Amino acid sequence: MIRTERLIVHGVDLEVFRGGEGDPIVLLHGMRSFSSGSRFPALLAALGSVVAPSLPGFGGTPRPKDFDTIFDVVHLVRAVLDSVPGAAVTLVGLSFGGWLAAEVAAAGHPRLGRLVLVDPVGIKIGDRQTADILDVFNRHPNEVRAAEYHDPDRFAPDFDAMEDVEIIRYARDRDALCLYTWHPYMYNPQLPRWLPRIAVPTLLVWGGNDGIVTPAYGRTFAALIPGAQFSVLPNAGHHPDIEQPEALAGLIATFLEG
Amino acid sequence: MQLWFHNENTYPFVPREVLDAAESVRASLPGHLLDPKIAADLFHECMDESLLCDDVGINIVSVEHHSGINSLYGASPIVLGALARQTRNVRVLSQGTLISLRQDPVRVAEEYATADVLLRGRLDIGFVKSGDSEMASNNANPVGNLERFWEAIDLITAALKNQDGPMRWEGKHFSHRHINLWPRPYQQPHPPMWGATGDPDTSRELGLRGMVNSVVLRGIDGTKRAWGAYRAARSEAGLPEPALDRFAYAAFIYVGDTDEEGIEVGSKLLWFLNTSLKQAPQFSKFLPGRMPAEMAPQVYRTKPRPGETRAARPADALIGMTAEQAIQRQIMFAGNPDTVFKQIMAAYETLGGFGHLIFIGRSGYLTHIEAEKGIKMLAKEVLPRVREATRER
Repeated sequence: MIRTERLIVHGVDLEVFRGGEGDPIVLLHGMRSFSSGSRFPALLAALGSVVAPSLPGFGGTPRPKDFDTIFDVVHLVRAVLDSVPGAAVTLVGLSFGGWLAAEVAAAGHPRLGRLVLVDPVGIKIGDRQTADILDVFNRHPNEVRAAEYHDPDRFAPDFDAMEDVEIIRYARDRDALCLYTWHPYMYNPQLPRWLPRIAVPTLLVWGGNDGIVTPAYGRTFAALIPGAQFSVLPNAGHHPDIEQPEALAGLIATFLEG
Repeated sequence: MQLWFHNENTYPFVPREVLDAAESVRASLPGHLLDPKIAADLFHECMDESLLCDDVGINIVSVEHHSGINSLYGASPIVLGALARQTRNVRVLSQGTLISLRQDPVRVAEEYATADVLLRGRLDIGFVKSGDSEMASNNANPVGNLERFWEAIDLITAALKNQDGPMRWEGKHFSHRHINLWPRPYQQPHPPMWGATGDPDTSRELGLRGMVNSVVLRGIDGTKRAWGAYRAARSEAGLPEPALDRFAYAAFIYVGDTDEEGIEVGSKLLWFLNTSLKQAPQFSKFLPGRMPAEMAPQVYRTKPRPGETRAARPADALIGMTAEQAIQRQIMFAGNPDTVFKQIMAAYETLGGFGHLIFIGRSGYLTHIEAEKGIKMLAKEVLPRVREATRER
């Protein structure tokens, strides 16, 4: 059971989804914020005490004035880690949230115990004229939709069927993502240099049909993190948490037991 | 009343079937579809039309749009420079370099100061917020555009006014350690400044700053909203009522010998609305930051829900318009000289007057010869009557 609550961290009034008991798990959403009905946070709550904040500008969290860079978001995530009670924290980041989690882990954080990255963005590996990460702001929505999901007809948002509040949430998520990631598009040129500093057990999971960032990108990402495990989930695109939530939670459960 | 000639230098010569098949006629059409020899002819024709305006006493607007059939004036400072050297008499309004798309507003200030000196003080500076496909064409983050817009205006203004040696700027979006323009502008403290917008919030800020508010193709209702916000902001701040020279109205205009000729040729101007506005959804309805998220339900859905009003960008309402509709909405004045005079005066009276009329006098397949005839007719047969009728205001 997931509860929607408020959590004030460093003066930022965060919408958070909470559930479960035990060791703390901080879950960072991807391009889209979670909602109270999201399946994956509920599944993760069976593994520990989950806190999933909507980052500023996303979902139900306002964006403070002049809070508008990746730098701000990474510092806020560090402050969230400081705020959760209990033992070592497992940090799980999806897509954009995976980038943030990787930044935090590369810089190091005393509370960080384990790291899970699911289809993260955040690094540049290809040549100058090839996009590693499909440009969701510059390509036709139909192309993005097909790349984003293994089964778009089943899982992609249908605006005609969605309620106003859901569409507004979607638009807020897109605005916030654009603000933070427009340039350079979805990556930090310096991050590959620092990923080898990650010193906690790390699992990377990749949707086998991710057309936003491919599994090949994922293997390169994983190879930069010492000892990282890498798993591919079939029948999932860029959002395994939406298309394969049980299988994803299962992989994380195995990782946490190990 | 000041009259201004506005010509976007459109490139209509891409086959219709190519445009119909393209998801966007802006930003993404391959360069091989443009013939540089035709483009060269167009640049020279348009420059000649501006020089004709210089001869007949019509001011000139120098515009900027990027990467599409709607305009070849992406490098607008270059065109402004050519106009600055070639004209002798009239004022030139750069409306304008799209400042929130430029990395370094100090360079924009330098270009404007140089143009003003070359023009011996005949420059007006107009600021345009830009948006849509131009965000992609210029790699500019659409979220935060407005913030960059105003900071860039502040920086350009400060740079133009500065005569005291190197000046520093450490703002949120722009920083510069050593701003010191040579030449400084010809006009002191800086050339007159305009802003093109129909957005009431932006008009309010223009009002507080006393800048000219030009409204392009928003028709009577949209213009009233913008200028109403302008006047209200000044009134609330205890500032003096603005003179009519703070307001500029823009419309398509074509004057023929007869009403039939005026409408037939003038209708060609509507190519701009009917062909050159098409943009892919990622550059328009799904562009982040373009409108408040609260409006997304009306914009994202493919069909409205019962009782829901549709929200769209202002330009969407213009696509597919006929000459009759454009005249009725008062975004086009076309006919014989007497008809056009009456149409202009009707808009003038409805809006409570304006000090500047910007006329879009060439677009699409309207030819150079036709454009020059329209300019001459307007200058000779209509402008004196409009000036006479509005003299007391």
